[in-house]
Amino acid sequence: MTFDYCGYAGRTLRVDLSRGKIIKETQSKSRIEKYIGGRGADAKILFDELIPNINPLHNDNILCISTGPITGLLGPTTGRVNVATKSPLTNIYGNSNAGSDWGSELKYAGYDNIIIRGKSPKPVYLCIDDDYVELKDASHLWGQGIFETTLSLQEEHRGYDTKVAAIGPAAEKGVLFCSIIFNLWDAAGRTGTGTVMASKNLKAITVSGSGELKVAYPERYLEIVQDGWLGILNDPGFLSEEHQALGTPICVNWGNAQGWLPTRNFRESTFEGADSISGEEFRDKYSTRSSPIPGGRACMSCPNRCKRFGRIESGKYAGTRGSIEFEGIAAFGSKCGISDLEAVFHAYTLSNDYGMDCVSCGNTIATFMELIDEGIIEDEDKVDLRFGNADAMVEMVHRIAHKQGKLGTLGALGAYKATLKIGKNAVDYTTSVKGIDTIACDPRVAKGFGFTYAISSRGSDHLRTHVVFEMIKMPPEIGKEMFGSEKACDLTSYNGKVKMVLWHENLAAITDSIGSCRFMHASYYAQYPIPELLGKLHKKKKINSIKYHDWISAATGMKIDYKKLLNIGQRIVNIERALNTRFGIRRKDDTLPKKFFKPISKGPRKGQSFPKKQLEKMLDEYYNVRGWDLKTGLIKKSELIKLDMKDVLDDLEKKKLVK
Amino acid sequence: MGKLIFNYENCTGCRACELACSFYKEGVFAPSKSRIKIVRIDEEGLDIPIGCEHCDNAPCITSCPTRALSRNSETNAIILNPDFCIGCKQCMVICPFGAIHYNENRKIFYKCDLCDGSPECVKWCVTGGIKYHEEIEEFARNKSADRIQQFLLNLPKSTRTITTGGGKKE
Repeated sequence: MTFDYCGYAGRTLRVDLSRGKIIKETQSKSRIEKYIGGRGADAKILFDELIPNINPLHNDNILCISTGPITGLLGPTTGRVNVATKSPLTNIYGNSNAGSDWGSELKYAGYDNIIIRGKSPKPVYLCIDDDYVELKDASHLWGQGIFETTLSLQEEHRGYDTKVAAIGPAAEKGVLFCSIIFNLWDAAGRTGTGTVMASKNLKAITVSGSGELKVAYPERYLEIVQDGWLGILNDPGFLSEEHQALGTPICVNWGNAQGWLPTRNFRESTFEGADSISGEEFRDKYSTRSSPIPGGRACMSCPNRCKRFGRIESGKYAGTRGSIEFEGIAAFGSKCGISDLEAVFHAYTLSNDYGMDCVSCGNTIATFMELIDEGIIEDEDKVDLRFGNADAMVEMVHRIAHKQGKLGTLGALGAYKATLKIGKNAVDYTTSVKGIDTIACDPRVAKGFGFTYAISSRGSDHLRTHVVFEMIKMPPEIGKEMFGSEKACDLTSYNGKVKMVLWHENLAAITDSIGSCRFMHASYYAQYPIPELLGKLHKKKKINSIKYHDWISAATGMKIDYKKLLNIGQRIVNIERALNTRFGIRRKDDTLPKKFFKPISKGPRKGQSFPKKQLEKMLDEYYNVRGWDLKTGLIKKSELIKLDMKDVLDDLEKKKLVK
Repeated sequence: MGKLIFNYENCTGCRACELACSFYKEGVFAPSKSRIKIVRIDEEGLDIPIGCEHCDNAPCITSCPTRALSRNSETNAIILNPDFCIGCKQCMVICPFGAIHYNENRKIFYKCDLCDGSPECVKWCVTGGIKYHEEIEEFARNKSADRIQQFLLNLPKSTRTITTGGGKKE
């Protein structure tokens, strides 16, 4: 490959489905210098090429799927693939991120990213096999579930060596929160990316690659990567073996103990049935493999293996199998008040096979449960939908996927749009920010998480920062050093939280853009400079840490230091903000739902809330650092000039979207 | 007398071994140039490492018409001499493990040589899915001892404890 920077595959694949045309072009050098790749480059592509006020399900919407420079290069947790589009669920910037080894396979095939536009006249799938790229008929697969689609495509091509990204029947029917599912179990779940793919009549993308990737400085690169692996393997969080042993389902009991496990649609923050839907329970009952990592499966080059594979052998849901993860357990479990793990597991794999986002699906069902409980809507379909009724919950998953019955049809719109349609004060019972519902952590307890929900570019979401810093036992000295307050490590304190969110947000933008995973700089704080600070504190001689700046430099040959790295992070946050201002996002949208302004009614965290006044105060501080206008939330001219985003500034200025 | 031991029970399918192998041997990251292969069977949640078992009675050596395959007496590895190889693929057909892999794009076989006694893939395997045993006799004994230890450590559920971020929790 004759691309100037190593690490990258060097080519972009453009697919116009309307005309059935496929173009392979050289990767844009100026774009990757400024935005690296992945999430950052995708946002720039959308900014440059997408008509802003388009209907997300219109032919001209663009679907970007991309990898980063270090995807598939042996670094720890480098199996991520990024998907970006205009979201049909929120009508703003939609973006989601998935694991597995699909992304690296795409790079071995010789492409960094795919840009899809148009709409095919009949169902097709995109087949990528090194240089051979073609659209093939998929009418025999239309209407099939993820499982069937993936397996038959693998059979048609290179078997297990073919990696498949597919959409399910729910997406075809137009359920707004559908996912693109990679290799059966890894979903680019949120914001309805799958629905956009379905609206283009594109059923799947199969990839197999036999190419090679080079790095700029092999010896240096190997050292950095080794240090990175050791950084994770020696992280206190990893060494404690909790996460190692259970994966993310550890968070069920963990969240319950800390009092942030959302229960019964966020009415409470502790769940009495947490033990029976916990990671321990899953390990003991359903894990398919025993030692030493029960049912653990990893993405490409990842020591972490956050997902757990299990199977139900007998009973009502015998035959259910799949990789399970915390968000799904909480969505169908505690949020719906259900303590029957088999039903939760079944609903989880069902929504996976239908191709729906399990978080939004579970949240929608939980919202309906509360609305019925409060007497705002009636259970017209007679499914006996109430908190704790597992059968009704499973039935609702089917109904939403098929848009069957009144609640099923409503549910397909997602919690926010459904409650708007119901009218009255129904919308007050959702937990949506910018139109997307909240994940499984109560922001009234975890303040850093709460603030993240308000400012996230894709709507209510923790992954834009993932400030686990406040949840794990971090020494207060580090909070003081990094974020200016010892209280930053305190879950319920507001001190230092804005600075903490800012650092995490900039790094998260980098993480997503280089093709790495959130666990690198949060959960395990293996990212520079935290291991160094911890080492200094504990007077350790040998410190292993991940240095993104060195890593990118050694892989690609670009010259990036820590300061420049954070600068690129800021640029990515700003390009997303610029995109969102075009879609109409202003300061009024950076808020929390009414529900979180009111205190928690019972349990150990009784009385905790996230007052609106406090939020506004934090927003002021945040906007000031970001260089955004306090009143409107528009980006300031000076900030865009400082970040060397002249082209973005020119465009926004024409539309008067800059202060 | 060394041997690679593949244990699918411990493999999580991260494919670090594939990348380490291709990087160490070829200087690039390319699973297609790796001597070891992880087959990820996603529908069953299984990941199976497949590589050369360096059999004592190796069918590949017997079937090779040009004697391109031979055994290194020091490491016990079966080694391919590319100068003698005519690409007839007999060894690929006869290998019961599918450890010798041929791809149209490559036009050459890649064959594990145990990295002269310190296999690179093992260094990168953090779960113990691939292990290297220099003394193979010991392996069987250790395996049996491990099984007994597992049995003894298999405590009833009620006594299990797990440390959480919020403190100890029974």
